[in-house]
Amino acid sequence: MSVIEVENITKTFATDKSKISVLENVSFSVGNDEFVCLVGPSGCGKSTLLRIIAGLEKPDSGRVLFRGQPVTKPTPKIAMVFQLFGLLPWKTALENVELPLEVIGLGKEERRKVAKEYLRMVGLEGFENTYPHDLSGGMKQRVGIARALALKPEVLLMDEPFSSLDELTAKTLRKLVLDIWRDPTLPTNTFIMVSHNVEEAVFMADRVIIMSPRPGKVVGEVKIDIPRPREKHLRDPAYFNLVDKVVEILEKSKAATEAESLMLTVNKT
Amino acid sequence: MAWLIVTFVNYPEIKNLPLYTFSTVSRIIITLLISVAWGVSFGILAATNKAASLILTPFIDLLQSIPILGYFPMVIGFLFALGPLGIELSVIVLLFTSMAWSIFFGVIGAIRGIPTNVVEPARSFGLTGWRYVRHVILPAITPAVISGANLAWCDGWFFMIAAEYIQYKGRVVTPPSGGLGSLLAMAAYEWQDINTSIILLLFITFIVVYFNTLTWHRLTEKASTGTFKPVFTVDLSGVGKIGIVRARRLLHFGRFQWPKAFSIASQRLRKYTRIEKIITIVLAFSIAFFFLYYMLGRFPTWGIIRGGFSEPPAEQLAYLPVLIAFTMGRLAIAYVISLVVAIGMGVLAAEHKRIAAVFYPLYDVGQGVPILALFPVLFLGLNQLIGVPRVALELTCIIMLVLDMIWYMFLNIVSAVKNIPTETREVGQLFGFKGLKRITHIVIPSILPSIVTGSILSWGTGWNTIIFAEYMPSTAPTIPPLSVPGLGSLLDKAGYEYGNTVLLIFLLGIVAIIVLSMEAFVWRRLLRKFEKYHVEV
Repeated sequence: MSVIEVENITKTFATDKSKISVLENVSFSVGNDEFVCLVGPSGCGKSTLLRIIAGLEKPDSGRVLFRGQPVTKPTPKIAMVFQLFGLLPWKTALENVELPLEVIGLGKEERRKVAKEYLRMVGLEGFENTYPHDLSGGMKQRVGIARALALKPEVLLMDEPFSSLDELTAKTLRKLVLDIWRDPTLPTNTFIMVSHNVEEAVFMADRVIIMSPRPGKVVGEVKIDIPRPREKHLRDPAYFNLVDKVVEILEKSKAATEAESLMLTVNKT
Repeated sequence: MAWLIVTFVNYPEIKNLPLYTFSTVSRIIITLLISVAWGVSFGILAATNKAASLILTPFIDLLQSIPILGYFPMVIGFLFALGPLGIELSVIVLLFTSMAWSIFFGVIGAIRGIPTNVVEPARSFGLTGWRYVRHVILPAITPAVISGANLAWCDGWFFMIAAEYIQYKGRVVTPPSGGLGSLLAMAAYEWQDINTSIILLLFITFIVVYFNTLTWHRLTEKASTGTFKPVFTVDLSGVGKIGIVRARRLLHFGRFQWPKAFSIASQRLRKYTRIEKIITIVLAFSIAFFFLYYMLGRFPTWGIIRGGFSEPPAEQLAYLPVLIAFTMGRLAIAYVISLVVAIGMGVLAAEHKRIAAVFYPLYDVGQGVPILALFPVLFLGLNQLIGVPRVALELTCIIMLVLDMIWYMFLNIVSAVKNIPTETREVGQLFGFKGLKRITHIVIPSILPSIVTGSILSWGTGWNTIIFAEYMPSTAPTIPPLSVPGLGSLLDKAGYEYGNTVLLIFLLGIVAIIVLSMEAFVWRRLLRKFEKYHVEV
């Protein structure tokens, strides 16, 4: 049964002079316990799509269903992790995690307890009273993850969560995220991640959905059937073949778009 | 220190100096608190509610561009009737009209500047309403409120002398509890005692600088600690930056289109909830009522408007183009002097670290001098030196303008020089630019946008100052007031001497037209042209 259904989403942004079509007729669904990665070149609207799923943006047409119910505004059942962490700079790590818990109406003692528990889970014990400014990028993202998970959501959306971190830190956090995904004691088990790093997507996802450049369309889908944990299989030909397959679809769609725009220019002149 | 002065100067009024100091400081603090409360609440309202913003921002933009003199008739009409308490109140109202705006616009700018990566997460877990204000908006605007309040504090001291010594129809009104501003005005105008005036001026400067270093530095430092730094790139400690922000918003809000605003407002109104609708409607009605009351109460008929144009200072309207030319000429002379000196000092500061080390502390002290308070003292000094009052006033006027205008130029240029990126400097070094070449290729282009913003601000403040600087209130009941011909002095005559409200408003309109057209035809074009030079800091 699918948890998230994206149906015919179309979105355009209006600037002063022109309209930019960002998403065109995007449809896919994500099942229970599934880890899906959206990959595509920058500016293909994948972040916008994620925001529509989160209820932060409204599509021009089409809809997003969460367990059959349309998503029109943010809900605690769908949480999000941001590329630039999105921590409030005037609140400590603990206060940052506590804030969404206050919104859903938890008492002071209760939310302190829950927030501490999740900070410990992401390995930040002892940093509860540190301000974001004094945390490293990796630690900030750990706070971001703890904040999202503390709401006990069913779906976790991640917008390029590792792209502003150095490779070593990213590697550690990828493992942390996968551990959380597989942890049977946590209710959060449907993950949708946006990335422009194909290796990362193939390493983490069950399924990679590939999007074309502007306007964003789904141009392909690759099922990743490498057994988990995948650290052991990073040298396998199967891994490289799947990476190549994704890259090939990406390049084909890029070439097609370029040819199209070239045709348009030729026609104009 | 106040007691020290008391022992050395022999005027009966000086005995009350400690009391006067206390009443002026508390007057400004009270006004500051009111301004903060007003600025924060209305700023949040205007920045978060589009309908409110469409009504509030143009209205407040209009109010802030009226020089303090424009409020005189209104304040006097409303508050003098209440006796001594009314006078105290009217001084506070006058101070408020020159202090409130920077906080309001600072709050709006700060709310609009909250980065998306703070807004989005907050929205994604459903932070709305009062919670959003408490957890996101209030912490986010704190730095802006503090720097805006600092600016307001300085504005308060600047206009204190105008607010505490009100001349109206030949009558001098000072607040019953006294004040430093009225004391200084008395010393200069009535006793004509240059030594006492200078001592008082130094005393006032000392108080302002003392508070600046004691309170404001500590507050700004507190607000700009690590917690806020990653989000707010605006440097809190540099006054020049505030100047840039101020100039930007001046231009931004100036672009407002009125008729369009009203049609949009009515469209928006339909979309809002009932409470928001009620608030907006009540607000709109009270503003409209206020205007109607004011208009009907004061000019019920066409006859009174015509009367205003035939009463005393009106006969000078025939020379209006000449008067405008005189005033513009003074402003232009002062502007050119400030421009040359400020660029020279800025370039020196850029080229020599040691000179820069001398200039930067000037920031703090210079910022504290209430320039308007210099006016009577300067005139008194020059008059004793030259002996021809008119020439002395002319000179005083231009020196005042230079002192006032150069400040904004200098602050903007220095902060621009400070912010020339190391990379740009290194590129210059790498290509071996030296001396003049270095100045023309690296330094000047880097500070061009700041020169434009500095110019906008200095002309703005210049207009405000010239209204005072062209006119010397009467020093004794028998001596008629002294003035040099110009638009500013005509305004003063209409306001102070004859209380001719109709003419006053008409002349303020002319000032507004000149200022706005200069903005549209000169400054905005220059700013757009130099935008590409702007270094993102």
